[in-house]
Amino acid sequence: MSEADLIVVGGGPAGVEAAIEAARHGLAVTLMDEAPEAGGQVYRATPRAFSGELVRKADPIGVGLRDRLRESRAITLFDHIVWSVSPGFRVDALSPEGPVSRKAPAVIAASGAQERVVPFPGWTRPEVVGLAAATIMLKSQGILPGQLTLLAGQGPLLLAVAIGILKAGGRVAAIIDLASRSEWLADWPALASRPDLALRGFLWQAKLRNAGVPILYRHAIRLVEEVAEGQVQVTVGPVAANGAALDDIDRIFQVDAVAVGNGLTASTDITRLLRATHHFEALRGGWVPTLDAEYRSSVPGLYVAGDGAGLAGAAAAACDGRLAGLVAARDLGALSQQAYETAAAPLRRSAARARRFGTAMARLMALRPAQVEAIPPETVLCRCEDVTRADITAAAAEGARTLNQLKAWTRCGMGPCQGRICGDVIGAALAAEGCSREQAGYFTGRTPFRPLPLDQLAGTVAYADLKLPPPAPL
Amino acid sequence: MEESQSSRKPKTLRAAGVKRGEAVRFFFDGRPIDAYRGESVATALRAAGILVLRRSPRIDAPRGSFCWMGLCQECTVVADGVRRPACRLEVAEGMVIASGTVP
Amino acid sequence: MEQEVDVAVIGAGAMGATAALWLARGGMRTALIDRGEICREASGVNAGTLTLHMTRAALIPYAMKGRELWLDAQRWLGRDVGARSAPGFSLAFTEAEEEMLFKRADARSAMGAPIRIVTPEEVRAIEPGINPAVRAAAFCALDGHVTAYLTGRAYRAALTEAGVSLLEGHGVEGIEVSDAGYVIRPAGAPALRARRLVLAGGVWLETMLAWLGFHVRIKCLVNQLVVTERMRPVMRSVVGIANGLLSLKQFENGTVLIGGGWQGKGDPVRGGVEPIPDNLIGNIQLARHAIPALGETRVVRIWLGLESETADAMPMIGPLPGLAEAYVIGCVHSGYTSAPYMGHLLAERILGREPELPLFDPARLMKPAPAKLEETA
Repeated sequence: MSEADLIVVGGGPAGVEAAIEAARHGLAVTLMDEAPEAGGQVYRATPRAFSGELVRKADPIGVGLRDRLRESRAITLFDHIVWSVSPGFRVDALSPEGPVSRKAPAVIAASGAQERVVPFPGWTRPEVVGLAAATIMLKSQGILPGQLTLLAGQGPLLLAVAIGILKAGGRVAAIIDLASRSEWLADWPALASRPDLALRGFLWQAKLRNAGVPILYRHAIRLVEEVAEGQVQVTVGPVAANGAALDDIDRIFQVDAVAVGNGLTASTDITRLLRATHHFEALRGGWVPTLDAEYRSSVPGLYVAGDGAGLAGAAAAACDGRLAGLVAARDLGALSQQAYETAAAPLRRSAARARRFGTAMARLMALRPAQVEAIPPETVLCRCEDVTRADITAAAAEGARTLNQLKAWTRCGMGPCQGRICGDVIGAALAAEGCSREQAGYFTGRTPFRPLPLDQLAGTVAYADLKLPPPAPL
Repeated sequence: MEESQSSRKPKTLRAAGVKRGEAVRFFFDGRPIDAYRGESVATALRAAGILVLRRSPRIDAPRGSFCWMGLCQECTVVADGVRRPACRLEVAEGMVIASGTVP
Repeated sequence: MEQEVDVAVIGAGAMGATAALWLARGGMRTALIDRGEICREASGVNAGTLTLHMTRAALIPYAMKGRELWLDAQRWLGRDVGARSAPGFSLAFTEAEEEMLFKRADARSAMGAPIRIVTPEEVRAIEPGINPAVRAAAFCALDGHVTAYLTGRAYRAALTEAGVSLLEGHGVEGIEVSDAGYVIRPAGAPALRARRLVLAGGVWLETMLAWLGFHVRIKCLVNQLVVTERMRPVMRSVVGIANGLLSLKQFENGTVLIGGGWQGKGDPVRGGVEPIPDNLIGNIQLARHAIPALGETRVVRIWLGLESETADAMPMIGPLPGLAEAYVIGCVHSGYTSAPYMGHLLAERILGREPELPLFDPARLMKPAPAKLEETA
């Protein structure tokens, strides 16, 4: 077990910038991530064995991140699946060589965000992938979701994935957007803060129009069903502004792939495990850790930066990461208060600017009030355990009032993903039965953060060498 | 029924403009699958037209890769005896992969 | 608006919930109060093992009755709690463990448990998945398991039907003793006047008893539990080891639950805080040694449950000295197994009937120098 000053968990923009900054000020920093390279999801690297246009066209920000991290003094542990952070702190991970453990008095949790998909009948079919998932497929694996793909959901990823598919030589059957045509313009001051991205959005829309890709605004998927091997039929219908399904003419598409995404939620494995205080912010990705102005959680020594602290986008994540690295360096005595203030002031201004655009995008991705209510009762909500909306309703009728109680009563959240995929939607489904999201709460955080092969966890050991506590009383 | 673009179909799901690693062959439920170094098992199987990676334990429904970031575990396969998500597993020559269905 | 009841039970774990259920069925206006949700502490998160191998010798008769009640839950509770009868093994891999095995088996059979020693060949005939390196084993036909997390939903329905007033999510900070009985003020709810009082607070009994001026040291054990994802059928019995440090079972859904009392860190104030990594690894290594096929699967969750223990490791069930109609129930080793029976015994006592088996006088723990009970073996 090795000692460091600071452990950064997560190698996306927030984690990388935090590690570089803290190391720059002399802290012994270790950064850990389960991926083979830094970049997180937003700047996910192409495989090392790949080359060609896909690699050359990789986001220069991501390339820069990886280069600067390599040049820094931070120790990086990639291909390390972090599965536990204990108080004090000890970080446990599973590497290809076996279990690994590191200790440090401070941890920056930079675990980012994950996709949310609002279920509909047929969403669990293998032809259906997430929207952020489709981004990963295109940008880091060079593969199309299908030959003809239907895109659905809400948020800026819809256009991005559509363009990505066309660029990769695929076809888009249609874009099914929950929002109205002009909704994304509503927060125009935020758009004005990033004119480059706003312009790109306009250009994308024009390009898709020219390619003949229909965009159906205020629509959502009603049903996906198999019609032939590898072919599905998708029924879509109109929705109201609050997400409620409208009784109207449906449209039907036949495709071989569907990519659907309804925004992102913050990944809170570490903060939930360590019992940090959280609060619910619908517009920033649901349950988020409660932080002070300097990225500190309610657990001393535990900082949080990036989307894992609440959705604010990649640019804000980078700024916040740098600031969190500075705060940690100051808190650990590597930086004077004065030097800290001098360095932090301009970064704070950049962070505030970057956050404006990011939070506007996050608002587009937030759940609408009636969106979860529109889910038919027989629809599976918890994929791992096949728990349906009707199961949730029945348990609520019998008196289940919190997510954890619901888990005990229905097994939702007890499967291999431990509620990470379904937690936000099921929280909304429980709230729809007559309580608030705050009352419903969130799944208690436990280890491991990912399923761990028992053999790898146990290692090889002779029975005689087992460290056994005293026998139980007679 | 609607089709929005011309009937020209891409022959493969693998995007052009990518030079992948050397060709490798692995096995999925006994079937030989040709892939390229650098690809994940999920990618290679999807490109080979194999979308169903396992069946769900309670209602035996067909499942495949969904989140593509190692979180949902829907793409769980058994790789050389170890259960792992296929989306986080790089292909290697001779790998023996079985569907992740629990018998 | 104050509520008046015949009896108030504080603590809605399996002990308190059972007592409340039978008191209500016995005709008393009953209130059951918990600061959290029903059966969400030890009762909802324990390993659910019904094993006479792990039950303390003196408690065997109670555990056997408790086990029958769990298996019969559909009848008296009205709901299935996933209770299944299964044979149970206690294994020995070393000479020292063999010695322990024989001693434990003797002690428990003397108390009526149908436990006998079997050869490794017999073990493998019943449970082929057990490590062939096993030297000896004790076998009990009357073991099994319950799905602990189903307990809350099951009891809630029964309590509602029995007319129990269930107050979840309302903590109690203290109790006033009046001439008419007891006044309880649950946070955020109207005060409750009760003629009789039952404290059923598990590891929080030390605090609760202090409300009434009793000072009883209660040890808080922080038990680690590990569950796997679903796997192919690899075992059909309940497996332990002679040293008492393993509980292992596979449910019908294929998941395997690993326990055995390995300790994590925590306390009654903060709850279960964190597993101790060495203890976690040791527990898993032991499990895999017993059933080697476990190496194939993955661990999906590790959690902690708090278990209460008195100074002499025997239960505390009965009337509190010096008070009228105040009772306590708890601190039963392997308490989940015997909870349906213990709760019923106390309810009988409170209803004025003679309990079928002796209770466990709390007063013994309240003398200046608590007397240690002689071990009956």
